Amino acid sequence: MGTRVLLVEDDERIRQALGLALADEGYDVVETATGEEALEVVDPDLDVVLLDLMLPGIDGIEVCSTLRSRGDLPIIIATARSDTADVIAGLEAGADDYVTKPLIAGELAARIKALLRRRRPSGSEDAPGSSELRVGDLVISTGREEVERDGHRLHLTHTEFRLLIELVSARGDVVTREQLLQRVWGYDYFGDTRLLDVHVRRLRRKIEPDPDDPTLVLTVRGSGYRVGQ
Amino acid sequence: MNGLRRRFASVSLRWRVALAFGLVTTAVAGLLSATTWQLASSYMLEQRERGATNQAVVDARLVADSLRRGSDDLPTLLVGLTGEPETAVLLRSDGRWTTAGRQVDVDSVPTLLLALATSGTPARQRLELDRAPVLAVALPVTPEGDLFVRLVPLTELDRTLRFVSIVLVAGTVLAGLLGVLLGWWTARRALAPLTELTDAAGRMAEGDLGARLPVRREADLAPLATRFNDTADALEERVQRDARFAGDVSHELRTPLTTMINAVEVLRRRRGDLPETAGRAVDLLGADVERFHRMVEDLLEISRGIQVPDRHDLAPVDLGIVVRNVPASLVPGAVIDVPEPSPLVTADRRRLDQVVANLCDNARHHGGGVVRLGVVRRDGEAAIEVDDAGPGVPAELRDRIFERFTRGTRSGRNRAYSGGTGLGLALVAQHVHGLGGRVWVEDRPGEGARFVVALPEVAS
Repeated sequence: MGTRVLLVEDDERIRQALGLALADEGYDVVETATGEEALEVVDPDLDVVLLDLMLPGIDGIEVCSTLRSRGDLPIIIATARSDTADVIAGLEAGADDYVTKPLIAGELAARIKALLRRRRPSGSEDAPGSSELRVGDLVISTGREEVERDGHRLHLTHTEFRLLIELVSARGDVVTREQLLQRVWGYDYFGDTRLLDVHVRRLRRKIEPDPDDPTLVLTVRGSGYRVGQ
Repeated sequence: MNGLRRRFASVSLRWRVALAFGLVTTAVAGLLSATTWQLASSYMLEQRERGATNQAVVDARLVADSLRRGSDDLPTLLVGLTGEPETAVLLRSDGRWTTAGRQVDVDSVPTLLLALATSGTPARQRLELDRAPVLAVALPVTPEGDLFVRLVPLTELDRTLRFVSIVLVAGTVLAGLLGVLLGWWTARRALAPLTELTDAAGRMAEGDLGARLPVRREADLAPLATRFNDTADALEERVQRDARFAGDVSHELRTPLTTMINAVEVLRRRRGDLPETAGRAVDLLGADVERFHRMVEDLLEISRGIQVPDRHDLAPVDLGIVVRNVPASLVPGAVIDVPEPSPLVTADRRRLDQVVANLCDNARHHGGGVVRLGVVRRDGEAAIEVDDAGPGVPAELRDRIFERFTRGTRSGRNRAYSGGTGLGLALVAQHVHGLGGRVWVEDRPGEGARFVVALPEVAS
């Protein structure tokens, strides 16, 4: 079975052309025109959601946070402009990646591939079986993709988890933004760093005792991030 | 005269006003001083003369009495009459001179004075004795020709007058200087709106459409500021309307563009299944849809930059990282040249990346490819240098190539390439100016052009 993509786009011609091109790339495309419809048709067989933020009715941000509250289904948001607040809002709402219009099937396919690659259980390279890493009072189990503090499980998305693992594996060395984008998002980064910044913010909100005064994920001015020991 | 006037006109208005103020105050103060001097000096001299004369009259009467009595103590009397030091009294009695007090040569007393007194007329005269100013008062004592002469020193008075004159001259000079200072300050204040106007107009010419003049309360200046600001408002609104229109158009174009791009992509994937003619048509269509896409994106970007100066995206950026991050496919074989540690600037990373990418793209299409990507420090600025292997940019085109739609093809370079949007370098200039930096092109050592993006360096 091919990868199943849910395409949420209100403009019919774009939806048709994109659906056609994605199908041509080998994807199994489910098309919907509204957020309500999208929330109805979501099923466990879906692999990724491609979500336009500008929708009639329930808007994309809300659809995004609803989907995120239900589970860890990868979400790529589509936005008209890369430098608007909706990109941030969408990423804060839990999207894993974003693309700017006009949407191009080939580019989308690359993003989807990268996103799904990092979703797959990372058995081969990272962790033989289940190894445990510790940072501060966090216990990270690489095999089960779980993070615990004092026995309580913290719920991280796959993307957030990968980000944390990349930082922790550097053992306090600086990891540049480019390296993080390359390793976590997996495509040749050449653009902006908003994606990374928002994910770091999300990660901090989940793992830092005080997100405004981070002690685990530290910013290195002008270059990247490192993990605090 | 004309030459002088021309030379005067070449002096700045501020200094001309200052000099005029200085001249006027000097003239007024000088006139006042001269009058004061005239009045004060004549008054004091007159006082002194009157005092000396009165004294001499009294003295003469005493001497006359003494002579009449034929008393012997005349010398004693004369000594007594000298009074204040430095004073001399002379008596001619029966053709013989008797003197008392300060030693004085009788010959130094002017004969005319003596002649007048001899003829019965009291006379007085100012004269110099041993280089000291002296007032001589000569009086007849007896009708037979006996004379009494009193010589009074004027040294004290002379000193006082000299002091007064020094004070007056100094006052005049000081007033002149104060006048110049006042004039300079006044002119500066009065010309401040002009300076501001020049400033604001300059900033506007450099593309800062938000430049405005502060509105002042002075009735004379308010209209200037208001008029300028109104003009600026109108201009800014017009530019923004144009930008918004370009932005709106581009935005609207993206919907059909999305359809076209994806449809073309499907066609391209099936290029092999198409008959040769249809295949070539798809190639042409695909290339131009792509170019259309880039153009729309660049137009959007340009209109966006004019509309909202984005400040919240600014962060410290390491130029070394920016340069090393350029995909090798964009700059094949280029030398990457970064100092250690590499400088930081405050920038919007996305825009800075786009600036570098556009410059590399430009070099690739018009300059025979990038041969060196460098980061250097230049007088407090951090700069990215993009060197190409082309023929360089002629001096007369160096400003123009940063304008929109100034195509390399038009300037005779690389006619074969027509895939550019004509907006790449304009976007570079806009982004760099938006980040408070400068961009220019120069000759690189050897052959080729060097595009330089200079931004203020920040401390790491």
